[in-house]
Amino acid sequence: MKVSDKIQYDRYLKGEKLPHFRTLSGIEMKEFYTREDSPRDPPDPGILPFTRGIYKDMYRGRLWTRRQQSGFGTPEESNNRIHYLLSKGMTGLNIDFDIATKLGLDPDHPLAEGDVGLQGTSVATLEDMDVLFQGIPLDKVSTTLIVNPPYSAIIMAMYLLVARRQRVEASSLIGTIMNCAITQLVGPTYQSGTHFFPLDPAIKIASDVMEYCIHHIPRWNIININSRNIRETGVNAVQEVAFVFSLALEYIRSLLARGMDIDQFAPRIGFFATVHIDFLEEIAKLRAMRRIWARLMKDTFGAKNPRSCWLRVAIQTSSLPLTAQQPLNNIARAAIQTLAAVLGGSQSIHTTSYDEGYALPTEESHVLAIRTQQIIAYETGVCRTADPFGGSYVIEKLTDEIEERVLALMEIIENKGGFLECFKSQWIENEINEARYEYARQLESGELIQVGVNMEREEEEEVKISIFRQESDMQEKRIQYIKEYKRSRNGDKVKRALEKLYRRVKENPDKNLFQTILETVDEKATLGEICDALREAYDFKVHYI
Amino acid sequence: MKERKRILIGKIGLDGHDNGIRIVSKWLADAGFEVIYLGLYNTPEGMVKAVIQENADLIGCSFLGGEQLFYCRKLLHLLRQNGLDDKKLIVGGVIPPDDVKTLKEMGVSAIFTPGTMKNTLLQKVRELVET
Repeated sequence: MKVSDKIQYDRYLKGEKLPHFRTLSGIEMKEFYTREDSPRDPPDPGILPFTRGIYKDMYRGRLWTRRQQSGFGTPEESNNRIHYLLSKGMTGLNIDFDIATKLGLDPDHPLAEGDVGLQGTSVATLEDMDVLFQGIPLDKVSTTLIVNPPYSAIIMAMYLLVARRQRVEASSLIGTIMNCAITQLVGPTYQSGTHFFPLDPAIKIASDVMEYCIHHIPRWNIININSRNIRETGVNAVQEVAFVFSLALEYIRSLLARGMDIDQFAPRIGFFATVHIDFLEEIAKLRAMRRIWARLMKDTFGAKNPRSCWLRVAIQTSSLPLTAQQPLNNIARAAIQTLAAVLGGSQSIHTTSYDEGYALPTEESHVLAIRTQQIIAYETGVCRTADPFGGSYVIEKLTDEIEERVLALMEIIENKGGFLECFKSQWIENEINEARYEYARQLESGELIQVGVNMEREEEEEVKISIFRQESDMQEKRIQYIKEYKRSRNGDKVKRALEKLYRRVKENPDKNLFQTILETVDEKATLGEICDALREAYDFKVHYI
Repeated sequence: MKERKRILIGKIGLDGHDNGIRIVSKWLADAGFEVIYLGLYNTPEGMVKAVIQENADLIGCSFLGGEQLFYCRKLLHLLRQNGLDDKKLIVGGVIPPDDVKTLKEMGVSAIFTPGTMKNTLLQKVRELVET
């Protein structure tokens, strides 16, 4: 008998077993759960603290928004993809910008040339934004703009000016600006949050954007704090939630310090979280998040409006469990993750595509992600009643345990001076790195199993899926475009507007900058130029060799 | 005593995804290599300067956003221009199969895509620094 045969037969005889019974965040699960684990039932859906959902009828009233992230190459290419996805069943936009845009560099910046248009769409001018939203009625489709401050101020200004061109009133705009200074790029890693713009002014400008939106764009969400990117660094569910809420406290305090009332802005704060593959833990996590948030708003900040206590959460299913090996397996994984997001009661979902381990999604994999959501919505029956797992002993117990652990970690962070302090001292960075090493260690030891990676792996596997490719001249086109743009506009007007912005920061550092930024955008200054003026005004230089 | 081999690790361009490169740096350091981690946002020119300054035996980069061909071409060109042809380059990240082929043809010594296990990586690196 061959050795491999013996292993195979032993499997049949003894039965297969899991390597252990811990969740991804380390909660040891019991043989079974009973009423004793969950002695009290949570209040009904739609009732404080909203453990079972923020609405009484949840998906009976309205399904979640199918909001697939899109954005690549030139604004024209992204506009085409957006129209295509809307025609295939997407119900909200989720616009991703390339990293140069998210770091405030024009395509012709020496550091940007190799990255232009790769991880999102390249937007540097007001005209770019106009092209990106060509033929999309901004008062009918809700849009999430994935961009961090201070660049969020410029993108928001562009969006408002495009709306003006479309003759859409600011009061009719529906959507969200992500606007988080720390999490938006690749999670709260120190260098990514500080290398291209000083942190404190970035947070100040985030608050400027929020304040402006509160007063002028009544249906707009002012910030979407990104716990998904926190999680994608490799931390566990408990850390994800504790980090994001500790960070949220910082934003809340900064708005309160401006004399605003909690009920004025809390209903317009959103969260962007993820769902990993640990099905029960992730459902419980979303329920625990709602409960913690509601209590924070009500008990700590004295919110009176129940909407201030609603944790509204957008989901993008996690990429970490998706594998480059046997990529079709990811279709099954993403469906299970999406199901957990639904059972956890989220408000919008992006299902991550199966080709994630290779490139941005193709049209085909993008549509498959939408279809996955539609199958769950219309075929499985899980949307017929709110919080179908409510009252399940194990789900209620896990919800309690996650809440308890999150609160304990939040207290540790508060005692260390709060999230910003922990970020600046790089305590957060160390926690992230430790978590990464631990995740990798478990994958090596087999405590954590990924089918196709450390189980059922096929060496020399041939990849058979089709993979997205950028147009080969896209970057060159964008660089030529921006150079030409800078040559062809009224340079004097741009110069005067940039000088005004610079003086504004120097002379009135505490005043809200948004209106001045909007005027600068209107004069056709580019994103990179506006950021450079701001950097100079804050005495900051981008270092590179 | 045998001198420890020096590996220069850094990300080039604007991609900030550093999960994999941090883990790989730790694996290499734990395995006894001298790892010099340059962090994010390096330029090919900066990498070459560091190779000279640090007298590195091997260079490692990672790309998760599709920048690999652009930057590897530049980096390999600069290495040759500076007479550093003997410094081998290894690359990790989200790299489509066509690009794996192109990178190899370009002169990249090894490419590690997601799901590479520790021993596979260490074995390859040892091979590269010892030949």
